[in-house]
Amino acid sequence: MTGANAMLAAATPLLWVRIFASALQVVAVAVGGPLLLGLMGKVRARAESRIGPPITQGLADLRKLVRKEAIRAEHTSAVASLAPLVLLGSAVVASAVTPLLTTSTIITGGGDLFVVVYLLLMGSVALALGGLDAGTAFGGMGSSRAMTIGAISEPALLVAILAMAVQAKTSSLPGIVAGTLAHPAWLTSPQWILALAALAIVVIAETGRIPVDNPSTHLELTMIREAMMLEYAGPDLSMVTAGEAMRFALLLGLLVNLFFPWGVDTSRSVAALLIALVALAAKTALLAIVIALIEVSTAKLRLFRIPELLAGGFVLAVMAVTAGLVIK
Amino acid sequence: MVAYLTGLCAAVLASLLGLVLPPRWRVRGSGILSATACVFSMASAGEVLASGNSYSLHTSLLLPFTGADLALDPLSALFIATTAVVGFSVSLYTIAYAAHTPNNRALVATQPAFLATLLLVPAASSVATFMIAWELMALTSLIALLTEHRERPETRDAAQWYAAMTHAGAAFILLGLILLAARTGEQSFASIAASRPLLSMPIASAVFVLTFIGFASKAGAVPLHVWLPRAHPEAPSPISALMSGAMVSLGIYGILRVDETLLGGGKLWWWLLVVAMGVASALFGALHSSASADLKRLLAYSTVDNIGLVLIGVGAAGALLANGQRILASLALLAALYQLVNHSLFKGTLFLGAGAVQHATGTRDLDQLGGLAARMPLTTTLFAVAALAICAVPGLNGFASEWLLLQGLLHGFAAHPAVTQAAMLTGVAALALTGGLTATAFVKAIGTGFLGQPRTGAAESAREVAPSMVAGMAVLALGCVVLGILPGLVVPALDRAASAGLAGGAPNSLASGLGLDLTSLKSAIEPGQLAAGLLAVVTVAWGGLKLAQKRAGFYRPRRTEAWGCGRELQTPRMEITATSFAEPLQRVFADVLRPNHDLEVTHIAESQYFVEAITFHRSVDDAIERVAYRPVISAMSWWGRLARRVPNGSVHRYLAFGFVALVLVLAALT
Amino acid sequence: MTLGFSLDLVELASGIVLATAVLTLWRKDLRALISALRIQGIALAAVAAALAFYIGDAGIGFVAVVVFAVKGLVIPSLLARVVRTDPGSREADPLINVPASLVVASGLIVLSFLVAGQFTGLLSDPVTRLAPLGLATVLIGFFLLVTRRKAISQIVGLLLVDNGVALVAFVLTAGVPLLVELGVSLDVLLAVVVLQVLVAAMRVRFGHLDLDQLRELHD
Repeated sequence: MTGANAMLAAATPLLWVRIFASALQVVAVAVGGPLLLGLMGKVRARAESRIGPPITQGLADLRKLVRKEAIRAEHTSAVASLAPLVLLGSAVVASAVTPLLTTSTIITGGGDLFVVVYLLLMGSVALALGGLDAGTAFGGMGSSRAMTIGAISEPALLVAILAMAVQAKTSSLPGIVAGTLAHPAWLTSPQWILALAALAIVVIAETGRIPVDNPSTHLELTMIREAMMLEYAGPDLSMVTAGEAMRFALLLGLLVNLFFPWGVDTSRSVAALLIALVALAAKTALLAIVIALIEVSTAKLRLFRIPELLAGGFVLAVMAVTAGLVIK
Repeated sequence: MVAYLTGLCAAVLASLLGLVLPPRWRVRGSGILSATACVFSMASAGEVLASGNSYSLHTSLLLPFTGADLALDPLSALFIATTAVVGFSVSLYTIAYAAHTPNNRALVATQPAFLATLLLVPAASSVATFMIAWELMALTSLIALLTEHRERPETRDAAQWYAAMTHAGAAFILLGLILLAARTGEQSFASIAASRPLLSMPIASAVFVLTFIGFASKAGAVPLHVWLPRAHPEAPSPISALMSGAMVSLGIYGILRVDETLLGGGKLWWWLLVVAMGVASALFGALHSSASADLKRLLAYSTVDNIGLVLIGVGAAGALLANGQRILASLALLAALYQLVNHSLFKGTLFLGAGAVQHATGTRDLDQLGGLAARMPLTTTLFAVAALAICAVPGLNGFASEWLLLQGLLHGFAAHPAVTQAAMLTGVAALALTGGLTATAFVKAIGTGFLGQPRTGAAESAREVAPSMVAGMAVLALGCVVLGILPGLVVPALDRAASAGLAGGAPNSLASGLGLDLTSLKSAIEPGQLAAGLLAVVTVAWGGLKLAQKRAGFYRPRRTEAWGCGRELQTPRMEITATSFAEPLQRVFADVLRPNHDLEVTHIAESQYFVEAITFHRSVDDAIERVAYRPVISAMSWWGRLARRVPNGSVHRYLAFGFVALVLVLAALT
Repeated sequence: MTLGFSLDLVELASGIVLATAVLTLWRKDLRALISALRIQGIALAAVAAALAFYIGDAGIGFVAVVVFAVKGLVIPSLLARVVRTDPGSREADPLINVPASLVVASGLIVLSFLVAGQFTGLLSDPVTRLAPLGLATVLIGFFLLVTRRKAISQIVGLLLVDNGVALVAFVLTAGVPLLVELGVSLDVLLAVVVLQVLVAAMRVRFGHLDLDQLRELHD
């Protein structure tokens, strides 16, 4: 048993502290998601010598959409109204249980990495079903592509998690984060770096960024995630957009915390939480800027080249696991 | 035990009633009696599972020479309980299903008989009893499969495949068990387990290989699965549900009972073989189910995939036990059994749902369906619950068992030989890809079959099915929800079954609930908390938005036309079909699926530069069947043709056969 | 530089050797292949250098310098020159497509780990534990040789095999005898020079480097 885990087990803080911390995480992700996307848009615009919309544009859009009238396509069923709710709900619950700011979140024992994966899968399934509900050509096409990419990114994702969990001897996220805080040497070990590279590829694919998907395109034949959202308007669209932004911020936050956990609160004081908030904002913003700069300089892959990318992610993950077994 | 026997007798009686009662009473009388039989069996099995007691019974009445042996321990009780739950819903469902079927006597009579044999097999506790029960199950299921052969000629082809595979499998099991009984000199399971030291390792391995082939063919593991995607779709839907929800599980039961508890765990390579077959089944089944456009074929391949997951868990448990990791082995086996129980629940619902769809529309081709959500809301909801459960959406049962399976494999990494670790790694990778593919397959099934607009008149005019059919589905779907939110209800029972399923027993190490507290296992989740949180968020978001809408003066969502790419009219012909939904995946995995393409271009008579019609046809058939089975079949039919030439109707020739044979026998005797 | 750090460096550099091997299967652009090879050569040299420090043997340090010069600088530059004459050339249509190759590669990695597990002695010492990485590099090199069509890819495959063998030798024997390594390196250099001449001749005569299309010569 590692010291960090013993420490984690020793003091489980009061329920209300954990609820507060989780609520703070949800708010941070909900506000941070649109801001991060706005920041990336800004960086891309500047790199392309444009001025671009302000960073807070995403939040303003959400505010506008919520006030609009709800419009649904005819022939849609309850799925069309449920899908945005489930997408948003899964993102909220996932951000409540992931140790973004603190290692003691609302769920007893803390979030589990597999649980976060399956919560996100739940959101994807909801979005894909929503895309099929109106019975239009593009919605279905988007669902089909998104599910395909999701399916082939899954092995890389879970094997990468396996590599980390074998290192940390648990798949519980707080356990992993506390472990890396106690053993900084893990972070430079080959298995950790390889697993993170694999995770990064999957995160790019799951959030639909370049080179897998281009979130700013509405060019009909190349859309993936956007195609599933075409039929949403008003409040529904606001939930879908917010949900997608939250997923993005959550995955980015997860990635930085797995690679660079410093700043995450383990002492459970309010001051530490605030420091953690600032640290998280800085870390994710930095990563978002890097991603934006990479996006500016790369082209989107053809749909049928994406398996190559994800298979590469899978090899990286397998290498991570074997490296973990070879190097002790 | 008394309740169990009462249940068994009630099921047999229900079958007889179905045979003799006049049509007016037949369906209801037999159905209610068969449901009662399930309640009795359930009560008996539930008592064993809750208390951990074992019962046994020997009677010299039923079978000559050996007598019949029946025993209930937690492992068999788990399978009986699962069968009883599935059987209960199927019995309810059959009442309305059969009432709308002409010539329903065969179905009404065979369904309880099949159910009775399914309840009997796990309780059989001697070689003779087990083989008799097993053969009765094969026979009743074959008859049940054939009940609709008048309506669909394809059924006969399916039945031939099924009969051939199931009897070959039974022959393997028989050989294995005879070898086992001969070498130990015992025939009741308890004494065989006691005299296990008499077995040498090569003999034990031979028994393992023989029985594993037989049981794996019943479980539908790749490459012995070929009968499954034929038989499940062609059987009447209640029978498909029983086959997939209960019969296939008995293959796993056989592996656990004979290869694990009777043979005592054995060698590491046995279980690595099981994991390898599990990985192959999981991937192959998931790929085919995501490529399928026939709803029941999709479900059948998904059964292959789920059995693969269970085999991965069973194999991991065996491998861990062979390495001496008793606690981890019991965790992996618990996960496998959980997955198996869940599979019975959601696959039962799904097959009954597919039956309801077929009943209402007359087709099971997803490309011909669509828009059923508005027309069959209850069926759609129940089907969707089960489909989401099988996709392992948190809050439903599939998630709980898949998570546990992942934990089992992850912690199995602690076991040392590098081969075991590689097996665990492969298992995780297979589990992951399978999970993604399953989600794709079932998003396709719901999205193209039930959502959108109806593509044909048959789907357009579909109506909700009768209440008893809905009730049948609802019982199982409710099970999916309950086992998803409160895994603590079943985990202790599963734990008892898992320790009964491991050679030498295992410590009851797991506390109730998924708050796993094993040494070196610190992960914990609370599916109930997750589901509650999710529900709370969804409700709050929904309420908040409603409020915001009201404040802005909007009361109901306005309905407008969907965006039709600039066209005026949005027709169902523009919808994506199940086949096109699966197209990207088919392209990615073309090396494994090997789809057949057929492009025909018809030119108009005057000029070859103008095209009159283009037909494009694509189908995905089973590559394993084509490569491994077709050559065998053609060789056999060649042999058959050859042999047919010998008897030409001449009496002299027939007499000559007898004469030659007699001379040869005498020559051999001298 | 402490002992622990030099061990970390050995591990990291060996990891890079394998990672670059995988990269050669991943990328189709021949220039990327050469860059991967160059990085691999440098990483191999780093393995030797760190080992020299870890064991405290100046001889291996000299080997490191030679490896760096031959495998990190000379050979990649020679190959890069061949590729430069035919810019934009790609391994367009390998016999086994890229995703399948990558899945096979992960299988090969697991296999070499399994094989090394058979010799439990290998897994006790922190340095000899790294042998599977070298073995996997050898296997991937062979796989590249078998499944790629372009002559350059095949040369790269050959070099991967050589680098893998060198890595295994480094970690198992804690540095091959100096002379052997030098001899092998020079041999390989010679082979590459010969192949380069051949490739140039092929281009002059046939205008392409696709080995599959050379089968006609056989008749």
